Amino acid sequence: MNHNLRALLLLLLLSGNALAEDVLHLYNWNNYISAETVARFEQQCACRVEQDYYSDNEEMLAKLAAGASGYDIIVPTGNAMESLIRQNALRPLDKSRLPRLKNINPAYLDTAFDPGNKYSVPYAYTLTLIGYNAEKMRELGLPTDTWAVIFEPKYLEKVKGRITVLDSQRELMAAALKYLGYSANDTIEAHWKQARDLIIRAKPYWAAFNASSYIKELTVGNIWLVHGYSNDIFQANLDAKKAGRKFTIAASVPKEGAVLSLDSMVLHKNGPQPGLALQFIDFMLDGKNSAELTNLIGSGNPNLDAMRYIKPEIAQDPAIFPDPQHRAHLEMLRDLDRNQRRILSRIWTEIKLR
Amino acid sequence: MSSRARKLLAPARLTKWAVSGPPFVFLLLFFVLPGVIMVIASFRYPGEFGGLAPLAAADPNTLHGFTLETYRFFFSDLIYTEIFIKSFLVALATTLICLVMAYPLALLIARSPKKRRDLMVLLVILPFASSFLIRVYAWMILLGPQAALSQLANGLLGVLGIAPVHLLFSPFAVLIAMVYVHLPFMVLPLYTNLEKHDPNLLDAAQDCGANAWHRFWRVTFPLSLPGIFSGSTLVFIPVLGMFAIPDILGGTGDMLVGNLIKEQFLVTRDWPFGSTLSIMLTLAVLLFVWIAAKLGTTRGRYA
Repeated sequence: MNHNLRALLLLLLLSGNALAEDVLHLYNWNNYISAETVARFEQQCACRVEQDYYSDNEEMLAKLAAGASGYDIIVPTGNAMESLIRQNALRPLDKSRLPRLKNINPAYLDTAFDPGNKYSVPYAYTLTLIGYNAEKMRELGLPTDTWAVIFEPKYLEKVKGRITVLDSQRELMAAALKYLGYSANDTIEAHWKQARDLIIRAKPYWAAFNASSYIKELTVGNIWLVHGYSNDIFQANLDAKKAGRKFTIAASVPKEGAVLSLDSMVLHKNGPQPGLALQFIDFMLDGKNSAELTNLIGSGNPNLDAMRYIKPEIAQDPAIFPDPQHRAHLEMLRDLDRNQRRILSRIWTEIKLR
Repeated sequence: MSSRARKLLAPARLTKWAVSGPPFVFLLLFFVLPGVIMVIASFRYPGEFGGLAPLAAADPNTLHGFTLETYRFFFSDLIYTEIFIKSFLVALATTLICLVMAYPLALLIARSPKKRRDLMVLLVILPFASSFLIRVYAWMILLGPQAALSQLANGLLGVLGIAPVHLLFSPFAVLIAMVYVHLPFMVLPLYTNLEKHDPNLLDAAQDCGANAWHRFWRVTFPLSLPGIFSGSTLVFIPVLGMFAIPDILGGTGDMLVGNLIKEQFLVTRDWPFGSTLSIMLTLAVLLFVWIAAKLGTTRGRYA
């Protein structure tokens, strides 16, 4: 017994030694970094990257709030990052160790969420826009440059039951608010009610509120028009091509404007390896490394140096890299306070029930 | 009671405590305690970033302490009562359909030869061998517009001159999956009950001149009421709290109270209101079960 115990202790000590190399703990979105990039960084730093994943900001915030710790780097979207900053959960960046920060397009720096980028370095972005089956839209003569196609019955009649919209209070309200000519961050209740009525009027024509399976439905050809994320629509098009479908899936930024979700790398206050984390951030700021993610999933890229490594068909896609005129109408969603959240939830319940 | 008898009983009591202790502690820790926490949470303010606002705050201007605002909010708009009623109707429909489908099956199993019975019960619980989510996702394929089921249904409707329908993302899809998932929970208690019936009772009824329908309605059915009630409870209550099926298969109007509660915790970050909704749901269920039990006892007495 005693002997066994000693053997066990010895084993624990040995394994402890084996694990003594540096480990970087990365808490990232699902499928949000290419395996080659990780392998290259591991080689360069002679360390190991341990990844943990989340599929939405709320999940990440909830996990951190429940006491999860030990993450060096997290990649939250703007409003979630703002919430982390205000909770005092992040570590200010030592910019002297980020010489490649100059690669970032200034348009994506100094956001309202983190003025002066004290805590965050832009990583990648997603747009919430219109995705569609290009052949069907042409056949039916429907416009694809406006939210009207999602909200106006005169267009919807032609695609009844072939549309899905995001199952997200903020995103759908943002689309409706934008179509009505308001800001996506408008919090005036009367405007919310207008948006609600617009949504309820269009709802009978929609097939579902959907968060993820619309990728497959677009690919298969069951759904012709979606309100969705640029990465997902990119994925749907790749899948449709791979499956040899006779149609292409395309995306466009509506002229009324859309939501831009900028994800940034931040250091968690309790991360054990801040030095290594800074090294990782600077590594990801290298255009080549940054471009790999865009080439993999079609994410937007705030890194100017990355542009020359990005496949031309992606770099020239206006639904991923919008022209300045469309870019001017993009908005990032701000966090709502608790009363606004409660009111919005009630409006959402009405939308779902009516 | 003599002192000797009491002495004999002491170890028996100890055994009773030892046996019932662990489950008791388990329920206390993981059912009663969370319930109490939930009740307390429902009287508090939501925290700015989720969770709860502190009970005491250094700055008196920030929200803290206890409040009735979540209950006021609940009753300030009929929409919440409406979603409760809707969820109850869905749960009721699921329970009734399960009952109608499960009863003949349970009867068939209970009246089969002993050897075959075990195999049939095994077949009823076989779906549990695969993950719940996989089975629900499978319905997405089964109900999809390209699937044989949709083609057949729309083919028939086409003959009748009715416009084609979408089966997926509809209340129909939600109901069919609800029934599919919960059916075994109705079959098993019914079977356990029906299996125990004394066949002599039916023989006696026949000797007294009762026909097949009377034998069922006056003998088998009243005796099976406890099975019906436990089966119905096992179906009704989980359906009320279900959020995954409406999320996956539902259309634009298929929000149930389970989805609403889940949303308070995962999206809206409003723990107090989520707790209030849960408490109102528990109260509504208790009321419903109480009414059902009342009806059950009167029906039992009549039989």
